[in-house]
Amino acid sequence: MSRWQLRDYVFAAFMTIGIAIASVITVPLTLSIPLPGIRTIVWAPFAGIFLTLGMARLQRRGSVALMIGTLALLLSRISWIITAFLVAALLVTEAVMWFRGGYRSRMDRLIGNAVFFASATVTGAVIGAYTAGQAFGAWVAQAWILVPMTLLSGVAGAIGWWMGEKIVTQLQRAGKLNV
Amino acid sequence: MFKFLFSVNPLLKIGISLAIVTIALSLTTLEAVSVLVVVLLILFLTSIRIQVKNAIVIAIALTVFVMFGTWTLNNWQLALFYALRLLAILLPAPVFAFTTSPTDLVRALQAMKLPSFIVLSLMLTWRFLPVIQQESQRILEANQLRGVDLSRRPHLWFSGLFVPLVFRIVSYADEVTIGLETRGYDPNAPRTISKPLTWQAQDTVFTIVSVLVFGIVAHLEL
Repeated sequence: MSRWQLRDYVFAAFMTIGIAIASVITVPLTLSIPLPGIRTIVWAPFAGIFLTLGMARLQRRGSVALMIGTLALLLSRISWIITAFLVAALLVTEAVMWFRGGYRSRMDRLIGNAVFFASATVTGAVIGAYTAGQAFGAWVAQAWILVPMTLLSGVAGAIGWWMGEKIVTQLQRAGKLNV
Repeated sequence: MFKFLFSVNPLLKIGISLAIVTIALSLTTLEAVSVLVVVLLILFLTSIRIQVKNAIVIAIALTVFVMFGTWTLNNWQLALFYALRLLAILLPAPVFAFTTSPTDLVRALQAMKLPSFIVLSLMLTWRFLPVIQQESQRILEANQLRGVDLSRRPHLWFSGLFVPLVFRIVSYADEVTIGLETRGYDPNAPRTISKPLTWQAQDTVFTIVSVLVFGIVAHLEL
């Protein structure tokens, strides 16, 4: 596998923009719902498109870290909590994907998406609970809420992967993506 | 508007805001967290122009948080403490962000000797986020002209919004890459800074005041 090149960094940065725009569009829809992971569930299908595209184009280990790390730094201007849970989720994802050797196959990208969004729900709930204290902590620590929301986040990530792969095919046909 | 914070060294602001978050997480008394929140609110309200509507929404959200906490914990003081602590954790980031321009932040990140690709990614994201947002707005308007109101039809977001948006983003990425490569841009080459970060008098004042506030908070906590 060749070294990271300028075009990889630029592509990853633009995918980060796509992920950020997906959050701008979807997160306001769920602001009033006090369920852990609900924002991730709504965000994942659309953010997953850009995450899949980035994985398909970059393919290497560290692709998610490059895209989500930049997003985490960008969102540190809103809250350090968002940065913390995104970094935790990307570390979990990269740790899992390290053993699969990157994001070369469709299956790798599916696993990468599902793991990232599911772990984002868990890390978000844990860091959110720690930050907000006992009241919220007691609420999110209930397994009957957290487990289904985590599973749903993974499924939402898989939907994002499915839509992302459809666009990857279209981009390849149009000659705009060399995978 | 109080412009003092705008002139403070961005690295110092990052450090102090992280210190505030760490301190807030370790506080256990209502008095200590109240002092921290009052100082942060003063900084926030004097440095940032906030719309009344947004202020009301934040106040309502905090009230709901306290009521929820009171209901689950059966202790309004503890609920108030957690609400104030949450405020102390959430406020430093916007106070720091709205008083630091993206250019200053990039200079700070370069001064921190972060890998150049991170700074490049961040610069590109900041530069092109508004451009891509405009593109998405154009796509939404083009759909409206065809009689498709996407805000009311989320099931059409994929084909009507995200597919054309992805194509535009990929085109932008290609154009920017070509632009950078033709100009000989090398992310690993050493960079020069036209206005290097320097320690100034206002940084010393900000540090002394911050240490004093931390001292008062520590005294109330012990």
